[in-house]
Amino acid sequence: MNIVIGTVLLFALAALTWHKLATPSSRRAALTGAANLAAFTLPRLFTAMIGAALLAELMPADQIRALFGAGAGLTALLLATLLGPVTPGGAFVSFALAAAALKLGATPAAALTYVTSWSLFSLTKLLAYELPFMGGRTMALRLAISLPIPLVVGGLVMAFRLG
Amino acid sequence: MSSAPHTNTDSPPPRRKIIDGGFIVLLAVTLLAAALVTAKYGAAHALATALGALGFIAVLLPKVGAGLFVAAAIPLLLPREKVSALIGQESGWRGLLLASAAGALLPGGPGMTFPLAAALFAAGADIGATLAFVTGWSLLSLNRTLIWELSFLDWHLVALRIALCLPAPLAVGLAARALTLRRRRAGP
Repeated sequence: MNIVIGTVLLFALAALTWHKLATPSSRRAALTGAANLAAFTLPRLFTAMIGAALLAELMPADQIRALFGAGAGLTALLLATLLGPVTPGGAFVSFALAAAALKLGATPAAALTYVTSWSLFSLTKLLAYELPFMGGRTMALRLAISLPIPLVVGGLVMAFRLG
Repeated sequence: MSSAPHTNTDSPPPRRKIIDGGFIVLLAVTLLAAALVTAKYGAAHALATALGALGFIAVLLPKVGAGLFVAAAIPLLLPREKVSALIGQESGWRGLLLASAAGALLPGGPGMTFPLAAALFAAGADIGATLAFVTGWSLLSLNRTLIWELSFLDWHLVALRIALCLPAPLAVGLAARALTLRRRRAGP
């Protein structure tokens, strides 16, 4: 059911985009761009999906439930925040791990804290791109200000039983 | 406003290598996981798990296709040069809002986003708008949400995360302005 709603929403967005593109040449350019993007993305998506399903089989369900389940409280959010930056690889790795952990009993609050922490603080992004381009001072300022965000997101989900 | 002379929206984006280091790592991790599942539960279970994932992908594909199309169309609708010129000109709340939205909408990985943020800063955007741009991209990137996040997580969880993170780029930008102002006042 979830997939159906998501698909319908995305198709509506795609239709709106198609309408906004207006001219046949820009529509053709968008289709070409989508094909190039698909050539890059689909092999990764296929591999990541299969990898995630296999990793879910290997994850220790008991420990996931103990560390990130409903009983773990704030400790789960702190641990999820710490795991975000050290996750290697791209977006698919962090989302796949979050999905696998959810399946095994992690709370939505812990999963969203982890994904948010990865988005903001992934060490790969910080060291390879932010530090060289933005400089240490600007990066330190951003990190200091953003530090509470994953915990705030997870804390709100937990406190109001969202998700 | 003197934007780049070749603002040709028909020029295709630079083609990325389909097989790169990241993909090889992903492939290696998947193969290792397959080997470990085979060792633990037998080859039949590993194969069934992989086939189950493939079935799930088949259900997802229409959604992914639509997401890819929208992601590819955004740069045609919002040329980067125009957007970055706008952010440099604006200040105040409008500057922060615009920078946050640009971060969320402009596609591209960290290799495109951080150089652009540095360029915005150099071109006259203030520290608040620059950090709002980086945070908007980090937390709300439409491209990543459409293609990756919605493939793995339920749409209501994705919507919840987006709703909770929506004010974050603005808050980071405002905090950055307040902190640098105080530092300047306290400094020599």
